[in-house]
Amino acid sequence: MNPTLWSAIRSEWIKFRTVRSTIIGVITLLVLTIGIGVLISLAIKSHFQHDGGIARIGFDPTATSLGGVLLAQFAVGTLGIIAMSTEYATGSIRTTLSAIPKRIRMLSAKGIVMFTSMLVVSEVAVFVAFEIGQAIYKPIGLSTTLSAPGVLRGVAMAGVYLALLALLGVGLGLIMRTTAASIIVYATLLLIVPIIINFLPSNWQNDITKFLPSELGQAMLAPTVPADHFSWGVSTLILLAYVAGVLVIGGALLERRDA
Amino acid sequence: MLKIDHVSKQYRDTLAIDDLDFEVTPGVVTGFLGPNGSGKSTTMRIIMGLDRPTKGRATINGQSYHDLKAPLREVGALLDAKSVNPKRSARNHLRALAASNNIPFKRVDEVLEFVGIASVANKKVGGFSLGMSQRLGIAGALLGDPGVLLFDEPVNGLDPEGIRWIRDFFRSLAKEGRTVFVSSHLMSEMAVSADQIIVIGRGKFITSGSVDELTANATGTVLVRCESPDRLQAALTSASAIEVLNDGALSVSGITSRDIGEAAFAAGIALHELTPQRASLEEVFMDLTADAVEYGHHTPGAAS
Repeated sequence: MNPTLWSAIRSEWIKFRTVRSTIIGVITLLVLTIGIGVLISLAIKSHFQHDGGIARIGFDPTATSLGGVLLAQFAVGTLGIIAMSTEYATGSIRTTLSAIPKRIRMLSAKGIVMFTSMLVVSEVAVFVAFEIGQAIYKPIGLSTTLSAPGVLRGVAMAGVYLALLALLGVGLGLIMRTTAASIIVYATLLLIVPIIINFLPSNWQNDITKFLPSELGQAMLAPTVPADHFSWGVSTLILLAYVAGVLVIGGALLERRDA
Repeated sequence: MLKIDHVSKQYRDTLAIDDLDFEVTPGVVTGFLGPNGSGKSTTMRIIMGLDRPTKGRATINGQSYHDLKAPLREVGALLDAKSVNPKRSARNHLRALAASNNIPFKRVDEVLEFVGIASVANKKVGGFSLGMSQRLGIAGALLGDPGVLLFDEPVNGLDPEGIRWIRDFFRSLAKEGRTVFVSSHLMSEMAVSADQIIVIGRGKFITSGSVDELTANATGTVLVRCESPDRLQAALTSASAIEVLNDGALSVSGITSRDIGEAAFAAGIALHELTPQRASLEEVFMDLTADAVEYGHHTPGAAS
């Protein structure tokens, strides 16, 4: 039986789960999403116990319980990056491409394995973080439930956001080919660019900020989309377009370059 | 069968491969000989579809590597033993390779056993010696039981026992009718392990043939001992060069031992020894590639 995309996926799945960095990355992802979410929720609870009603206006129990996503996005991005960049760092890309000379098939398999596994882990992480957060908010009457409008979608999309960022990492790792350079670019996109935009005139800021990956993520996970953001659907599409763009550039380079 | 069809490879300003054109036939061990930096590894990578040739193409059984349906079942290659993620175990490395080409996992255990690293199969590859890594690379090459096998400098890092094992192994692969293409920069290694040799230097084809053919074409010398070397020297008018060795023996070039014997008989000189000195493959190789060594030693003071 001739090899297919499915064979490549099996191969990439074996590679993905047989290195310790994957295990460490997955644990980091869970700890950050759940742990930071719990810490934020506890801090808010203690704050609101001393503070009266006014600060509670506009309080979003979903988004705050998912505050860990802001840190977890670096764990997923790094996992995506190293899945690709270690192939170049170790030279194993040559072995990989000898086994799967159809390079786009190899990239597709890697992307599918990365997206699917990160989606599963991220969804577990965000739903656990959400439920623990609500349990913390409950005594002070601030909790919400998955059946409230937009909440289930918000929590689910937080997981999708993280999984898409893992794919963005794969694409960056493919373009840059070194772990360090890829992580710098990734962190710049998510952390430094927002700071730089902060220095721009404020009416520009509103137009530009909503295009930033982290802001798209906020729109995706908030049950009520904050002001000056795209709707959650449009935000998802824009993030998808970024990921697709990076993967297409990476794929074109992969096809053209000597391995 | 492996065919290199007028392949050239240009890297920025260096021409790594210059119009290489040859075929590697099944059933024999074909050596690919050239000094370091002569383009052997580049040629191997082009065959494997890893590097794109600037001109020409390389085909395996008429197809380019990229178009092979199940590449590991047709071609097995050991290009660089360290092209493996050091954090992964040997068994998992091979399982990932096997899965990509729908090769059953029990074959992984077979090849691990065959190359003699089954006992360390669950250890991380990063801790392997070069010799063990080479064996793992060979295991990977054999995984799909392919008809064409490429080995780039396979004896590097192997101990003498391993070198002997690998020579016999190449022969047995060839005997089974497979195409076996082995590169080396060591002519002594090629002389004993290859049947056919292709010599390149600076990316250019230099010569090819069997070990015997390559050495036969080279002009050897004849060692002569006799009671009166001076008289014999005078009698050998057709010799191109005669060197008097320390012990009084003559090293004669450009004339066959038969002609030397007859000249000595005509001059009435009794010969004590008349031995054709066959040029070693090493000498032939040095001779052929003298102009083609990229990183050679230059004699101090000599113009280069």
